[in-house]
Amino acid sequence: MSKLENLKNELKALSGEYAKIKELKAEQRSAFGAKLNAKKAAILRQIAELEVATESAKVAPIDLTAPAAPNHLIPVVNQGTKHPLITELERVIDIYSRMGFDVMESYQLDDEFHMFESLNFPKDHPARDGYDTFRTSEGFIPPAHTSTMQHRALLKYKDNLEKGGQIAVVIPGRVFRNEDVDATHEHTFYQCEGVFVSRDANMGQMMGLLKNFFETYYEQSLNIKTQPGYFPFTEPSIELLIEKPKSLGGKGDGWLEMLGCGMVHPNVLSQAGIDPKKYRGFAWGGGIERLVMLKYHLNDIRYFESAKLDFLKEF
Amino acid sequence: MKISLNSIKKYVDINVPTDELIQLIGSRLVEVEGHEDLSLKYANIYIVKVIECSLIEGTHLHLCQIDTGKETIQVVCGAPNVHKGMLAAWIAPGAIVPQTYGNENFKISTRKLRGYDSHGMLASIYELDLSDNHSTIVEIDPKMAKPGDSFTDVFELNDVILDIENKSLTHRPDCFGIIGFAREVAGILGQKFVEPEAIDLPKIAAGELTIDIVNSEICPRYTAAILEMDDATSDDKYLTLSDVFLGKLGMHGISKIVDITNVLMLETGQPLHAFDYDKFIQIGGAKTAKIGVRLAKDGEELQLLDSTTVKCTSNDILITSNHVPVALAGAMGGMSTAIDVSTKRVLLESASFSLYNLRKTQMAHGIFSEAITRFTKGVPPSGTAQVLAQAIEMLGGKPVAIADSYPHPAKPIKITLTTDDINSTLGTDYDTDLIVKALENVSIEAKVQGAFEGMRSHGEHERHAPVTTGRADAPRKSTCTLTITTPLWRTDLHIKEDIIEEVGRLLGYDNIPLDFPTRPFIGSVKDPIFTLKSTLRNILSDKLGAHEVLTYSFISAKLLERVGQNPENSYQIVNSISPELQYFRQTITPSLLDKIRENLRSGHTDFTLYETNQISQKSAGLTKERTPVTSNHLAVVTLGDYYQIKAILTNLEASLKLDFKLQKFTDDSAPYFEPLHSVNIYIDNTLVGSMGEIRSQILQNFKLKTSVSALELNLDELPTTVVVPSNLKFTKYPATERDVTFKVKESTTFASVHELIIGTFKANDDLVFKVTPTSIYQGINGATRNLSFHLHFASLTHTLEANEISAIMDLITKNITQTLGAEVV
Repeated sequence: MSKLENLKNELKALSGEYAKIKELKAEQRSAFGAKLNAKKAAILRQIAELEVATESAKVAPIDLTAPAAPNHLIPVVNQGTKHPLITELERVIDIYSRMGFDVMESYQLDDEFHMFESLNFPKDHPARDGYDTFRTSEGFIPPAHTSTMQHRALLKYKDNLEKGGQIAVVIPGRVFRNEDVDATHEHTFYQCEGVFVSRDANMGQMMGLLKNFFETYYEQSLNIKTQPGYFPFTEPSIELLIEKPKSLGGKGDGWLEMLGCGMVHPNVLSQAGIDPKKYRGFAWGGGIERLVMLKYHLNDIRYFESAKLDFLKEF
Repeated sequence: MKISLNSIKKYVDINVPTDELIQLIGSRLVEVEGHEDLSLKYANIYIVKVIECSLIEGTHLHLCQIDTGKETIQVVCGAPNVHKGMLAAWIAPGAIVPQTYGNENFKISTRKLRGYDSHGMLASIYELDLSDNHSTIVEIDPKMAKPGDSFTDVFELNDVILDIENKSLTHRPDCFGIIGFAREVAGILGQKFVEPEAIDLPKIAAGELTIDIVNSEICPRYTAAILEMDDATSDDKYLTLSDVFLGKLGMHGISKIVDITNVLMLETGQPLHAFDYDKFIQIGGAKTAKIGVRLAKDGEELQLLDSTTVKCTSNDILITSNHVPVALAGAMGGMSTAIDVSTKRVLLESASFSLYNLRKTQMAHGIFSEAITRFTKGVPPSGTAQVLAQAIEMLGGKPVAIADSYPHPAKPIKITLTTDDINSTLGTDYDTDLIVKALENVSIEAKVQGAFEGMRSHGEHERHAPVTTGRADAPRKSTCTLTITTPLWRTDLHIKEDIIEEVGRLLGYDNIPLDFPTRPFIGSVKDPIFTLKSTLRNILSDKLGAHEVLTYSFISAKLLERVGQNPENSYQIVNSISPELQYFRQTITPSLLDKIRENLRSGHTDFTLYETNQISQKSAGLTKERTPVTSNHLAVVTLGDYYQIKAILTNLEASLKLDFKLQKFTDDSAPYFEPLHSVNIYIDNTLVGSMGEIRSQILQNFKLKTSVSALELNLDELPTTVVVPSNLKFTKYPATERDVTFKVKESTTFASVHELIIGTFKANDDLVFKVTPTSIYQGINGATRNLSFHLHFASLTHTLEANEISAIMDLITKNITQTLGAEVV
């Protein structure tokens, strides 16, 4: 008699045992039943194992580590890749979206008014020098910051204020500065701008919101600190630093400068037809490249615009 | 900018450790980029006396015995000015040469030179890192020191130098002087700043000294004095405290007169200029000093102190002597009136110029002196006389004439705001006293309006009606009105927000309690293009195996030429740093074509690249805002023929639920496509892009040997609302599968057969169906093609009977054969 048949007989015999439960005292029944169940389960497991083994005996083994069977084409699956910079930008935007911010993109060709005038840069002011702007022969400007969109965002959403709501927008975009390219400098890079206007916006709200953004982004709680800054379009202006996150090797000591921010200058609000006596706003802007470089420990910014598959296929 | 901590300590009692101070400055005034402890940099350098000195035969070297205060030591010295009896600075063995400190850290040792032991070295001012002259060693005035004295003690080098990031002080000219910086440090430390006592100009008449400012906008104030110098020319051979002071702050000593003007500039932020008065008179040709301040004429030339000759522009401001230019105002003096060893009389200038003009001067002539750096921040006119008075006192000459032209004297600005304005903007709960004290520490006067009356009647400050500080749950705090009077040097304070910033900064932004915006929960709106781009990335990368790339928005003339695009249709960048970045691209495909070869050479095969980005074509004109029209495009390039790229388009079409119509190629903006192997892409009647094979000539231009196809879509023209499939029909009855092949003439298009089959099915409301092309066969003679399709169909209402199925197949066959002259194979 085969082993399988033996087991099946044992199983049959076992079903008979169950009938004895009735003869036992109530308090003994449960223990007896459990014992039978365990026995039954063990037999069933052995039967199953035997059945699989019997079937496998008929199957030829293969090299599980090989990419294909002998004499077969190796299957090719085209694995596409996404650019890490855009992936990160989407992640940033996603966090702000979930906070309730609308999204609009910046223009890659703009004018003096949006680049400077609308942002309270006096004409010919040295503060304009810091931006190293490119210019076209017509005098248009490929923007040097996404703040060029602030005026448009304020115009577009100012109805919200009149209806008792707020302006809450983030603006991602590609920006340009006329400088030589090296491992840490690019003339073409990405920024994300944010603008919030309400009746009671203040610096405490701004810092709380930005802290929360970085905590969400780095998935940990973080300390922040500030540094006074100077931007003609915000007053007060500060630079925000965050504690180096654990995921970047931070041990609670180092600080990273993440973005410039401040309360929207009243001139910027009034230029867009928003009464600065009634409303206040805050705005901020920061680069995306740095986030990606820190994340992946990249030390050369030039990879991003290189279109080198050697680089891109790593993401 | 470099700031000496010792200099600040002259004005402020610093009661915190240096590290903490640097941190406080960083968080409340300006970023400190670095700091250097000079006591370490100048460690083990001593004053020594050369007691013996003889030339080593056949060399320019001297063998010296020096008295170090402890012992006599031998040093070999190569400087021509080493001589017996002089006091010198000796870098002892084991010390680091200051000039190399922080870089290679070169350690001086005992070594043999020409057979003689040389212990340490006698230092030049270059090795001491205080100037760039290394031909002579420094000589020290015996009145200042004796052998054995520490160099750091004698020359006040027990100091820490802070390296300040200038950019965030662009609006703070007052902080470009030690006094102004110290005032801020006091404020940060919560101390009242004691303003240095003002010195008045000596009461001396202008006499024949006249100042003629053509336009007070370019020069709000010009203050000048003529000084008769007793010993101006006795040029010091000794290393002076000024030399060291200037040296440690990145400048260097030139002559006594010039050094004093420079030291004062560093101290006060007010640049001064000294002319040789006799030369000034002579070049002007008048008997008296006629100072003029005017704009230059285009092309007017002037030789500057550094011997270069500048060609002026009409933005430059010139100082003239009786109409003859003698200085490029605010930037650099002229050669013709330079101070030299024979200068007997000095004309001292202390002035304020328009920062706008000087900024252009700086850019046009590339002058980045300490003086112009300050002038381009807007040196306030209020302080010129005071600094001139100090200069007269320090120079020690006899003032014979003083003139001051200040047509529109600055007045303090008054700003009124409430403490609630401050607290509600910052999100704080600061009380009035704290705010007033913070402002007054930095000499900003803040009067609490009606406070006294309030105190009399209520025993406390007058309270206005209570105003809540923003948040509904915040404690209700009453508010006081403040009247602010700004000091004249604070040219950056104009509006109440400026005062709010001062309070926030001085009391520490880091002390503001964190909060969140108060707002209702409202669904946010995503930019449709941003969302579409994101969807495209998912389809192209995750589904179709393509690689997303980013390439520059600016391209070269060469690339435009390679793809046959007209540069006239591109916005041209006029100040580009590189010929590679001269034109804004018209389409993205050329940038991607440019990246194929390099990737092939790196061993990548069979790849597809894509990019979504903005483009602009001049022909598209301007927006309502009068800015160039930019469009969001998607470009895809793949290795392979037309059908390769078409498969990608078909996939995009299905994934996006769009209905592309392909028609004859006419796209002028894409001259790189082979017209016979390319199509225009339409949605309804809107042209949304084009697609096809790259012309072989273009491939050659890119040195590509493989065929390449591409597609480019204008994303702004695609429907932004998601197309939801509607009228979906499913059946529970079994489906029929049939294969059918038609032999058609070569001129019969695939689409005409395909559409006819579909049309036949569609005519029958009861059917659901799927038509899948399975093969296209063309024989060797090529006159006909065999098109095969797999048909899958079923009824919505019942199981199809055999006769019904034959009827459907017959109808299809009949339609195709009769309409297109095809036959069934």
